[in-house]
Amino acid sequence: MCGVSEPRLSVGLRQAGPIPLDVEFGCDAGQVLAIFGPSGSGKTTILRSIAGLYRPDHATVRSNGVAWTDTASGTFVPPHQRAVGFVFQEYALFPHLTAEGNVTAALGHLPHADRRSRADQLLRSVRLHEKANRRPQELSGGERQRVALARALAREPAVLLLDEPFAAVDRHVRRGLQDEVNALRRTLDLPMILVTHDFDDVVRLATHVLLLERGRAVACGPMTTLMSRPDLAWLREAVGLGAVFEATVRGSTNHGLMLLGFDAGTLLAADRRLPTGTTVRVRIPAREVILATHRPEGLSLHNVLVGRVSAVHRDPGIDPVIVQVEVGRLLLLAEVTQDAIDRLRLAPGTPVHALVKSVSIDVVTTDSGLGARDSVTTT
Amino acid sequence: MGGWRDPLLCVLALVVSADLSDARQAKRAPMVAAAANLSMALTEVAAAFEREHGSRVELVFGASGSLTRQIQDGAPFELFLAADEEFPGRLTGAGLTRDAGIVYATGRLVIFAPAGSPLKPDAQLENLGRLVKTGMVGRFAIANPDVAPYGRAAEAVLRKHGLWEALRSNLVIGDSITQAAQFAATGNAVGALIAHSLALTPELASRGTYALIPDDDYPPLRQRMVLLKRAGPQAQQFYDFVQGGAAKLILTKHGFSVPD
Amino acid sequence: MDFVALRVSLWLGAGTILILLPFGLWLGRLLALKQFRGKLFLEALLTVPLVLPPTALGFYLLVTFGARSPLGQAFQAVVGHSLPFSFQGLLVASAIANIPFVVQPIQRGFEAIPSDVRDAASCCGLTPWQRFTRIEVPLAWPSILTAAILTFAHTLGEFGVVLMVGGNLPGQTRTLSIAIYDRMQAFDDRSAGVMAATLLVLALATLMTTTALSRRVGVRRV
Repeated sequence: MCGVSEPRLSVGLRQAGPIPLDVEFGCDAGQVLAIFGPSGSGKTTILRSIAGLYRPDHATVRSNGVAWTDTASGTFVPPHQRAVGFVFQEYALFPHLTAEGNVTAALGHLPHADRRSRADQLLRSVRLHEKANRRPQELSGGERQRVALARALAREPAVLLLDEPFAAVDRHVRRGLQDEVNALRRTLDLPMILVTHDFDDVVRLATHVLLLERGRAVACGPMTTLMSRPDLAWLREAVGLGAVFEATVRGSTNHGLMLLGFDAGTLLAADRRLPTGTTVRVRIPAREVILATHRPEGLSLHNVLVGRVSAVHRDPGIDPVIVQVEVGRLLLLAEVTQDAIDRLRLAPGTPVHALVKSVSIDVVTTDSGLGARDSVTTT
Repeated sequence: MGGWRDPLLCVLALVVSADLSDARQAKRAPMVAAAANLSMALTEVAAAFEREHGSRVELVFGASGSLTRQIQDGAPFELFLAADEEFPGRLTGAGLTRDAGIVYATGRLVIFAPAGSPLKPDAQLENLGRLVKTGMVGRFAIANPDVAPYGRAAEAVLRKHGLWEALRSNLVIGDSITQAAQFAATGNAVGALIAHSLALTPELASRGTYALIPDDDYPPLRQRMVLLKRAGPQAQQFYDFVQGGAAKLILTKHGFSVPD
Repeated sequence: MDFVALRVSLWLGAGTILILLPFGLWLGRLLALKQFRGKLFLEALLTVPLVLPPTALGFYLLVTFGARSPLGQAFQAVVGHSLPFSFQGLLVASAIANIPFVVQPIQRGFEAIPSDVRDAASCCGLTPWQRFTRIEVPLAWPSILTAAILTFAHTLGEFGVVLMVGGNLPGQTRTLSIAIYDRMQAFDDRSAGVMAATLLVLALATLMTTTALSRRVGVRRV
């Protein structure tokens, strides 16, 4: 089981075919579980199973303690009776209804009199209330996505499901939408499950990750833990390994750098003009980390972290090797050649310095929503 | 979306209830099936009937055989005026009629040719024979011998004169005697063997000429009528009227001979 | 112009639509959404009335429902008259003859609705009936209308089946197309001409409408 015990949403799916599935996971309120995997790995099927649109041979889906699906006892709640907010890959908006009409369609649980104002409120929350009377054909891709989001939320769902929500959208629009989703996570108290084949989404949005390959969970766990695992060859090939963790902005220097504090020390990264105290999510690619047995001198880089080798992972036939380094509670990853490992005699327990260039520290998200962005959120 | 049973029941209900005639069931004019050669004559008789008795009959014309078939299949006719005796006989045999009915008229066969046709009608069909021999004959129309008694008679005449085999490939078969007449009248055939009653109608009389075929050349066209079992009083009234003096006058005018 | 015949024709067209539309909606949608064994055979079977000569259809109907058949006699016992040679008989014959005109367009109409739009409707909390009435039918309506219009037009033009199953009974089964034939036989070309022209105009109107509607089918994908 991946996740907390007694999570708001717990899912177990198993079948041999036609779409092979073998997963078991949970997602709690406020968590964003990213299901990441290549096309055809069964990601969408999992989402559809949670919504009740697909019925695997063996399945249990429980939300807030209520069984939505339980093949063992023959329970099956039809999709229209599940409080599921589903944002489809191509939004699946109703072409014959306006944006307002689309949102209102999901407000059947409210008395007639209240529907109009609630729809209005929802459209406002995604900043589309001025286009409430437009049909989907008259809206841009990003606008349609926001209508889809508003419609999904109109249901007052117990779980929010997003199927490749940014796949159909331009890169520059994607950032804005990702920020919206992040903001949602903070305001709603829902389990959110996000299916994607784009690792950028994972890094920016997920609190937990489930790596899926041909219907099976290759790995599952909190984002930071997963990203600090040295052995995920699959991930390494797909996106490259590197620790992802949260840090706090402590201030900026007058040399265009900012101080980021984490539990075991501070890092200097390129300044982003963020207010002090902002929580940021940070990624340090393993490729960018150099290890040294002694504290070096005269080097241009700014970050020297003191730690201890906690694991050395060799994938047969692949060089370099991944070394996991413990720095306080942070687990950094470094790509090191076998030759270097032999030379430096690196082994679990060896004290070591991890060297990171300031420019290698990738600030992936900030806590303050739009924050200090140069690009205006356009769609 | 529900099972298949509900829609089926609705459909059945609709079908059973959709009866256009329901509202007027009680007072509807009785349906009378009549041989096609009576189309003019019987219409006149019906008009006279309406004038005298104030009630209408609904006339439906067709080939006797077709009408017989329809009646066997349940067509709601109350009276059937055939062009022969054999077809009504079948109905009587099947127990569908009140009785064996009565011969109301005897018809005659004529050979007709439209104006401008190379065929000049003559009673012995000599001109026709000449046309056939010289290979100049175009299409020749008769009614379908299987369903029209006049067609049967036409075949008999042609066989008698040894023209049946020769004409076979040139024959145009009408599904009723009126259709055969039409073929000729519109110039689509050089001539036709049709009912005398039809040749006397204004439509045909104005379009061509005819010659009476001698009675001996074909089995007599005794035309019998029968009341069907379901016949009501109005149909009965009309049945009687057709045998009355007024009707006989009209029938004679149209070339029929009537029983005394 | 034989107004009684016109009335019979119009009632026949309307009645056929009334019977077939619900049936077509149910079956067309089923065929659009479900896969099952024998589906191909069923689809072929539903197309048979299109290729079967009307006289063959008429023949089978007479044999099955005529006064000499058990079914026909049962009908007669219940309703009081035979099924052939009555308006109801025409309705039955017309309904069977028009099945392909109803089922196929409606099937295409529902097939054109993307499946995730239907799924989205469910996820919005719409019951299957609400999904049908508020989402599917509004999106498929051009096809449904096409089905109705095609059926109506085809019914007006029916001859062979009507003649065989209905006979030529004025006020009941003498439709406009039969009346044309009837008038021609009586050398009344003028009446026949007027009625034929009427049918021609109706046919043109139908074709124009269905062509315009067919442009709207399948343009709904967003």
